[in-house]
Amino acid sequence: MKPLRDLLDKIEPLFTKGGKLERFYALFEAIDTMHFSPLDRAKGTTHVRDGLDLKRLMITVVVALVPCIIFALYNTGYQAAAAVSAGAAPLDNWQDALFYGTLGYTADPTDVLGCFIHGTLFFAPIYLTGLAVGGMIEGAFAIIRKHEITEGFLVTSMLFPLILPPTIPLWQVALGISFGVIIGKEVFGGVGMNVLNPALTGRAFLFFAYPAQISGDQVWIGASNLVADGYSGATMLATAAESGIAKFTDVHFMDALIGLVPGSMGETSVLACLGGACILIFTQVGSWRTMLGVTVGTLATASLLNMFPSDTNPMFAVPFMWHIVLGGWAFGTVFMATDPVSSSFTEKGKLIYGFGIGVMVVMVRVVNPAYPEGMMLSILFMNMFAPLIDHFFVQANVKRRKARYGL
Amino acid sequence: MSKASKTVLDPLFNDNPIALQVLGVCSALAVTTKIETALVMSVAVTLVLIASNASISALRNLIPPSIRIIVQLVIIASLVIIVDQVLKAFVYEVSKQMSVFVGLIITNCIVMGRAEGFAMQNGVKLSMLDGLGNGLGYSVILLVVGAFRELFGSGSLYGLQILKPVTEGGFYQTNGLMVLAPAAFFLIGIFIWVLRTFKTDQVEAE
Amino acid sequence: MAFSTKYIVGFAAAVCVVCSIFVAGSAVALKERQDRNAVLDKQKQVLKVAGLLKEDESIADAEVAKRFEANLVPRLVTLETGEYDDTADAATFDQDKAAKDPATSAKAPEGNLAKVQRVPNQALIYQLVDSDKTIKALIIPVEGKGLWSTLKGFIALDVDTTTVQGLTFYSHKETPGLGGEVDNPKWKALWPGRKVFDEEWKPKLTVIKGQAGPAADDPFRVDGLSGATLTSRGVTHLVQFWLGDDAFGPYLKRFRETGE
Repeated sequence: MKPLRDLLDKIEPLFTKGGKLERFYALFEAIDTMHFSPLDRAKGTTHVRDGLDLKRLMITVVVALVPCIIFALYNTGYQAAAAVSAGAAPLDNWQDALFYGTLGYTADPTDVLGCFIHGTLFFAPIYLTGLAVGGMIEGAFAIIRKHEITEGFLVTSMLFPLILPPTIPLWQVALGISFGVIIGKEVFGGVGMNVLNPALTGRAFLFFAYPAQISGDQVWIGASNLVADGYSGATMLATAAESGIAKFTDVHFMDALIGLVPGSMGETSVLACLGGACILIFTQVGSWRTMLGVTVGTLATASLLNMFPSDTNPMFAVPFMWHIVLGGWAFGTVFMATDPVSSSFTEKGKLIYGFGIGVMVVMVRVVNPAYPEGMMLSILFMNMFAPLIDHFFVQANVKRRKARYGL
Repeated sequence: MSKASKTVLDPLFNDNPIALQVLGVCSALAVTTKIETALVMSVAVTLVLIASNASISALRNLIPPSIRIIVQLVIIASLVIIVDQVLKAFVYEVSKQMSVFVGLIITNCIVMGRAEGFAMQNGVKLSMLDGLGNGLGYSVILLVVGAFRELFGSGSLYGLQILKPVTEGGFYQTNGLMVLAPAAFFLIGIFIWVLRTFKTDQVEAE
Repeated sequence: MAFSTKYIVGFAAAVCVVCSIFVAGSAVALKERQDRNAVLDKQKQVLKVAGLLKEDESIADAEVAKRFEANLVPRLVTLETGEYDDTADAATFDQDKAAKDPATSAKAPEGNLAKVQRVPNQALIYQLVDSDKTIKALIIPVEGKGLWSTLKGFIALDVDTTTVQGLTFYSHKETPGLGGEVDNPKWKALWPGRKVFDEEWKPKLTVIKGQAGPAADDPFRVDGLSGATLTSRGVTHLVQFWLGDDAFGPYLKRFRETGE
């Protein structure tokens, strides 16, 4: 590492105040802190109670995502193989040409390594596109606004591919992350100031702008001609919205729990999300209050609606246990709702905020005829109320303390 | 700059009714999916503004203050109905697309705002120029937003195909969000963002 | 300046009178033109379904009227009996208005799948005729709920009353890119040649999920709109409702039997 340190030290004057490349300081700083500890460190006696900084916080989230990422790679390949071996056609793209042609694999769902490789071929380009495009925008804003590039972006770019279908066109990935970073974050002033979760904002943009590539029953599996060959490519949630869960068995439930079902790449496995939740709660990076709030909200609303079965809308009868294994509920609860910036800050506020998400997600899933998945919309919706919830709790606190001191 | 030309030019960027005063946003969301409707709406609002400012300014010394708002409303409403009738008679298809939004010019805050805020204190000529300026300021935003939404939402500009959509055998995937009302919010927001980046005096104090 | 009450009342009255003169004047002066526009607009829609006017073709108003006169005959049909009613003027008949008025309409059957509220007693159809007035097709108005909105359109049937010649919607607010694809010319091109009725003359034509075969092999099914299950289902229901026994069924039956 010594030569790199020397090199960085040598070129540092170029980037500091008065240097030739002063405006690119943000890039220099990003490269430096990526390899070494930060340039500005507190010296002397400081008030640090815990070594947790933004960087460690974000790295922890990425670590917590690892189970979901691994499962996403496997399941994406597995779904494609299962569909093709059941009669669907491979896709007409370079991934499948490489996989079935050059590498000589056959569509075999039992071939674990094959599934991983195939899934990686889908996942990696989407991830890298998001990282590159989003990174460029982030860098450009850092240079214009003269601040440092923050690690928050690494989390956004990691979350983004996990909530997209494997077949999404790359230009849409680029457009989605651009919208998410600019409109979801930079217009509000950048990291820490954003009201909305940037990854979800990007997905919402794609969802409304290009619905054909992110909803329906053709996009969730890396194979084509799904419906024509009688192989349902719909997510289980969409199937439930159509005909209820009466047809689902315990096997389906286990599949949904483990995550061997079609869906957005990273959201299918409830178990992997649970693993991530353990890491986040243990390290106190993700709030258990938020997660509890969502769970209670979902339980309450689902149970309430179960009492009013409807003849025309089978979703009314879907019980709580099914709500949490279907769609993006688990992933959203663990990784999206707990986003420290866009959720409530106050501890009691987090419970209310989570509860609101839980209520909304069931309402959207059950009552809205058009969007079977409600997780994205309900989290974005509650994101907007988070500052208001905080405001009330802070005011209540202020009032209580004033009363305590008789002011 | 003379007072007259300042009255006309200020509302374009310095004191834009939508971007700075944030008036009349409702119709800006509804009629901007295409340039054609945006243009007709712009012309309609500009004409109503000029005519209402002129007539209210001419009557400003005769209108009893106790009933001035209702008098302004009656005059504006009559003008809007006349414009609506004319549109129905001469550009039927566009007026059908704009449906109730022509009638809703009555409630467009710009018209009432200029009548009460400007025409009641100024002469006829200056009031007409103020109406023209504010109408043009409104039009600038409508046309910019309309152009973006039509180009990206339907791949055309003023009905002329620029980007051939995939559904018609072309390459362009039309952006469905652009056709929905929130797109106008985003675009107006971005317009304000850009405007305030260059004209920092428009940024409100925190 | 202080104003007396008398002045205020007088001023208000004067403003009202002047304004109402302008408003009434413009309404009266332009009425004829507006009515002509409304008629022309409707004629254009019908010409489009009949395939006599292309989607992006713009023609002079006189030409619209000429083509319409030459090729189309509006006829009023009494739905219950299926007989023509030539006593009323078909040109000025407003079906939307008739469907709302309790005097000229009846409640639609409870729970009909197209979610139609009221069915008019009389409805307006258009007959496509050639130069010697032989009927070539029947153009029948249909409407029903999709996902967000009421879809309004026309279906053109061959004189055998079962073969579809075309389907078009002139008004809807479905999701652009999904349900909004009912406007897509490619999808509309899938309809001609399909059959509406089975052997027992019950409506059978269905918009399915996924892809159907070509019209010759798979006459009773049409491709679904990808990702728009509810709009697709809505189209099925509205076609089946309006061509079924509760609406145009008796008329189509009578037409089959008498040939006119």
